[in-house]
Amino acid sequence: MPMSRPTNTGGNRRGGRPAGRSRYEQGISWTGAPTSATRGTHSKRSILHRTLVLMVVCGVVMFIPLGWKLWDIAIVHHDEYQKLASDQQALDLSISAQRGNIYDRNGNVMAMSATVYSLILSPNDLVKSVPNKDADGNELDSAVYQANLAAKQEQVLNDLMTLLPDLDRERVNTQIHATKYSYREIKTKIEEEDTEALRTYIAENKTGAYLYLLPSTKRYYPYSSLAAQALGFVNSEGGAYGIEAVYNDVLEGTPGRVLTNKTAGGTERYNTYAQYVDAVDGCNLTLTIDATIQSYLEKTLDEGIRDFDVQDGAFGIAMDPKTGAILGIASSPDFDPNSYSQITNDLLSSQVSEDAAAIFEKLKAANTENLTDSELMAKAEAQAESNALNTQWRSKAIDSRYEPGSTFKALVLAAALEEGLVSESDHFYCSGSVQLADHTIHCSRRQGHLDQDLAKAVGNSCNPAFMEIGKRLGKDKFYEYFEAFGLMENTGIDLPGEASLKGAIWAKEKMGEVELATASFGQRFEVTPLQMICAFSAVINGGDLVKPYIVQSVSSRDGTVLQNTEPEVVRQVISQQTSQRAADILEKVVSDGTGGNAYVAGYRIGGKTGSSEVKQEEDHTIVSFMGYAPADDPKVIVLLAFDRPKPASPGNNKTANDIYISGGNMAAPKAGPLIAEILDYMGIEKVYSADESAAVDVSMPKVTGKALADVKKDLEKKNLKFRTIGEGDTVSRQVPAAGTGIPGGSTVILYLGDAVPEESAAVPDVTGMTYEKARSALEKAGFFMRASGVSTYYGNSTTAERQSVAGGDVAAIGTVVDVRFFNVVEDGHAG
Amino acid sequence: MARKAKRDLTMEEQLARGPLDLPFLMLVLLLLGIGLVMLFSASYYTAYRESKPPVSNNPYFYIVRQAAFAGAGIVCMYIISRINYQHFRWMAPLILAGSIFLLLLIFTPLGVEINQVTRWLYVFLVGGPTFQPSEIAKVAVVLFFAARLCKRDTEHKKRFTKRTGLGRTLNFLEGIGFLELVPYGVVLLVVCGLVVFEPHMSGTILIAVGAASVLFVSGISLSWFVGLGSIGAAGLWFIITQTKYMTRKINIWKDPWLDPRNGGFQPIQAMLSIASGGLLGRGLGNSNQKYGFVPEPENDMVFAIIVEELGLVGGFLILLLFALLILRGYWIALHARDKFGMLTVVGLITLLAFQVFFNIGVVTNLLPNTGISLPFFSYGGTALMIHLAEMGIILSISRQIPAPRKD
Repeated sequence: MPMSRPTNTGGNRRGGRPAGRSRYEQGISWTGAPTSATRGTHSKRSILHRTLVLMVVCGVVMFIPLGWKLWDIAIVHHDEYQKLASDQQALDLSISAQRGNIYDRNGNVMAMSATVYSLILSPNDLVKSVPNKDADGNELDSAVYQANLAAKQEQVLNDLMTLLPDLDRERVNTQIHATKYSYREIKTKIEEEDTEALRTYIAENKTGAYLYLLPSTKRYYPYSSLAAQALGFVNSEGGAYGIEAVYNDVLEGTPGRVLTNKTAGGTERYNTYAQYVDAVDGCNLTLTIDATIQSYLEKTLDEGIRDFDVQDGAFGIAMDPKTGAILGIASSPDFDPNSYSQITNDLLSSQVSEDAAAIFEKLKAANTENLTDSELMAKAEAQAESNALNTQWRSKAIDSRYEPGSTFKALVLAAALEEGLVSESDHFYCSGSVQLADHTIHCSRRQGHLDQDLAKAVGNSCNPAFMEIGKRLGKDKFYEYFEAFGLMENTGIDLPGEASLKGAIWAKEKMGEVELATASFGQRFEVTPLQMICAFSAVINGGDLVKPYIVQSVSSRDGTVLQNTEPEVVRQVISQQTSQRAADILEKVVSDGTGGNAYVAGYRIGGKTGSSEVKQEEDHTIVSFMGYAPADDPKVIVLLAFDRPKPASPGNNKTANDIYISGGNMAAPKAGPLIAEILDYMGIEKVYSADESAAVDVSMPKVTGKALADVKKDLEKKNLKFRTIGEGDTVSRQVPAAGTGIPGGSTVILYLGDAVPEESAAVPDVTGMTYEKARSALEKAGFFMRASGVSTYYGNSTTAERQSVAGGDVAAIGTVVDVRFFNVVEDGHAG
Repeated sequence: MARKAKRDLTMEEQLARGPLDLPFLMLVLLLLGIGLVMLFSASYYTAYRESKPPVSNNPYFYIVRQAAFAGAGIVCMYIISRINYQHFRWMAPLILAGSIFLLLLIFTPLGVEINQVTRWLYVFLVGGPTFQPSEIAKVAVVLFFAARLCKRDTEHKKRFTKRTGLGRTLNFLEGIGFLELVPYGVVLLVVCGLVVFEPHMSGTILIAVGAASVLFVSGISLSWFVGLGSIGAAGLWFIITQTKYMTRKINIWKDPWLDPRNGGFQPIQAMLSIASGGLLGRGLGNSNQKYGFVPEPENDMVFAIIVEELGLVGGFLILLLFALLILRGYWIALHARDKFGMLTVVGLITLLAFQVFFNIGVVTNLLPNTGISLPFFSYGGTALMIHLAEMGIILSISRQIPAPRKD
């Protein structure tokens, strides 16, 4: 305000001087003197104008560029920027679909998926989680910081070891100190129920930034190795091998998506604008496989491998011969699909080291890269291991070929019957060998079968007889039927890896007399086991070649059946009558022929044995048996084969435990009980023939206190014999006790008067005895014999093979001892 | 204080009891209301993510505080509007002195440092909410300038002795109007100097703009504006071309995609946000960009979120409300009872207008980043209160507008 104050005061202070102009003239007032002109020279008008200008500028003009810019961005560049915005905001998550389960025909879970977790550590973020500033935001001394960091790492290590004591401390320690990395799997495949403690730890210690659980799915196979090759397994890329591979698309479902927005931090935002495309879970499969039958089959294979010292594994198929539904399919060596990269089979793992050594030698010979021995060995080992893995993952029953051997005779027989070239009344003479051009072909029985009718010839598996039948059939018909039985094409089963049939049999024009002759008894050409079982089924099921299948139905999660497999007949190969006739003849193979060891009382089992040399390799025989039952209405057909039982010595035709290497002596005795077991399980009642029913178990009546004469009548009714001990008319004691089941025809012991039976006695050793001898030996000692095995017990060749209570062991008097009889059959090499 | 009967009032007092300018008040309240709603929408996620106290992941933290300050601000606005604004004439130098004192306090340990700059003081010096003394300085400068410049018409030009060189020089300077400007220049230099060294560039600019508008309207020769404006422009050009920092800043402004992760991040995100809104917007509350993409969506960038949610239409509507408020403000200025009132309103309204312009200019990348918040919208309790207090001053002035003569 000094400016507006009258400015004469300064002058006054200087005092005494004349006021006004004189001081002004002197110019000593620095503040100057007011003039009449005011500073605000502008009129009110100008102020008004300036305000209006400002008003227009601030109220209107300034908004124009703003509005224009907004328009430019929001409308003109809308699409361009909007896309950039969406790109940075969009979160496209995929939701994994649950893989479908696989069930056996009874609804037992054979494969299922479950969520498992991996515990992931980010060592890098662990370092970042340790603050390098103190509470006041000042940078920490580097030594202090390092100490803090080390303490934290140590603490995490200790915590992890406490939480998961089975971890390898060294390994975890290394992982924690790999601070360059941000993804280290501490533990994988943690089950849901085991994550509880980890979750709590993560939440309580807020470790989410560097230690967290990552969900993933794991495939479980509850039956572990059961039907492993048929099921296959799932690796990171989906189904590999088996049903898992063939039905991968059906099983895996369609992963879903969440299209939503995220925050700049990358977290999903849950809002109503998110688009959820639900994951479509995979479908469930129901197999034709029956877990029980499968387990019988695998058990039988394992037994055979053990008993016969089998070197190259075994395979077996059980099928419904009328529909082609696979009830069981097994191949040994097998594996556990839960950990498919492990070699569990002892034989196979011992082979790995042998192979590795062989590969090593080979690599060393051709060592172009100048690798060291240890490198070569590592290479060799890896190669051997991968070979072994491939071996165990393969299903031999499908993807390998073999010479069917004598089992093929059933097809030749059926073809010849169908063509009317042979009949049951035909007789064949076998001298033991046949001279063809410059080849001499021997029968398995060197001394010859001599004269035999058709059924006998089949029962004997006589090669000269079948050469004759093959000759009658001729090359063209042979080929025609070979093709008709489906042996020139893959079966089309819904399992992967059916073996290529290229070169499996000679071209028709290259087939000469010798080839036809050998082919007639199943040698020098190859088929897959599956083809063979289908063709054999056609012989005995009424003549239809069926297409085998393993998946019965595909159903959605809620159980709706989406697809059901109907049995498919490829073609009728032979007539119903021919099939019947062939089946009758084949039944005799078991009841009275080379297949005798497959006999099981009560079940009418038909079948054909086979033994084939593999590509004329020394001591390499595949012994097999194709059996079916019941013969009049086949419910199951089984092919069982063992690859390379080990001979006692090179060139020997017996194994170390003195078993003749042939289908009839090896595969048949394993197949018989297997078929019986399967039929039992399927609930098919035993029907005994007259001979058989005589030996069927009867219940011992209560005879004590009765008169001997009455007792005699009672026992006769039950088809029981008796012997008495002691004196008197009434039975005082009896062995066995009332109600005990004993085989019909057995001799029970009746004690008369004061005679008292012994409590127990030593069981005699009956192995090697004939039927009658064995029975009397046992009964004499106070035991009963229940015989099983071959149907005819009277020949000298039929001997007791083993007994349920070993000879010399003490057992209670009256115990029923199971004795298995065995018939050494001559169906060996080339038969 | 007992209320005097109307007949006992002096002329002055009677005038001071006139009606408030209702359109202006309504516009203020409307903008404030919309501002609160939009602040809530924009700040929700940021507050939820902020784990440090006092926010502590409370999504309502910002809106509750802002609403409380808005309430207090309305009360404050009402009280100030009841004050006869003539009292501000004598208060102006005191307020100015006070604000300079507060600005000086910033350079003492009492200054509060946030994000490496010291612009704040606690309301109770050692505690309570923070505020920016520069906000008060803005009002103080405007009031002081208005209070002085309104008497320009009655102020006489000075004449100095022509005998001495000094006198002749002074006469010359008086002739071109320089002497008159000296006190204003000194005040401006002091205040701006204090603010610019906080450092607080945008505050400095606003103070200068407020002061300039009052000077401009009061009739200071245009040549001064042209002259000083040219010197300023030249200086700015020199800084822009000669310092790497500024060159880079300008280049990024021209093309934010040169450095989309750092310097260009904010303008790019703001533009993406506006573009996402399109014509009609995503709908209230549905912004996607506020989820951590747009930096400080509750603060300087709130307008980008508004356009994303309410669309170009909503953005224009808010611009329109601001424009109407500003125009109504100038209307009040034009009709003010006296020159003091007029200059005060012009200063305050111009400040507001420029703040809106700078803020939205930055959001739309029309201007390089300056860091000026949007009145009534941006989060900042004390700033909001001061804004409402300014509106209170304008309303107080509007009360004394003479009623139009009934013709």
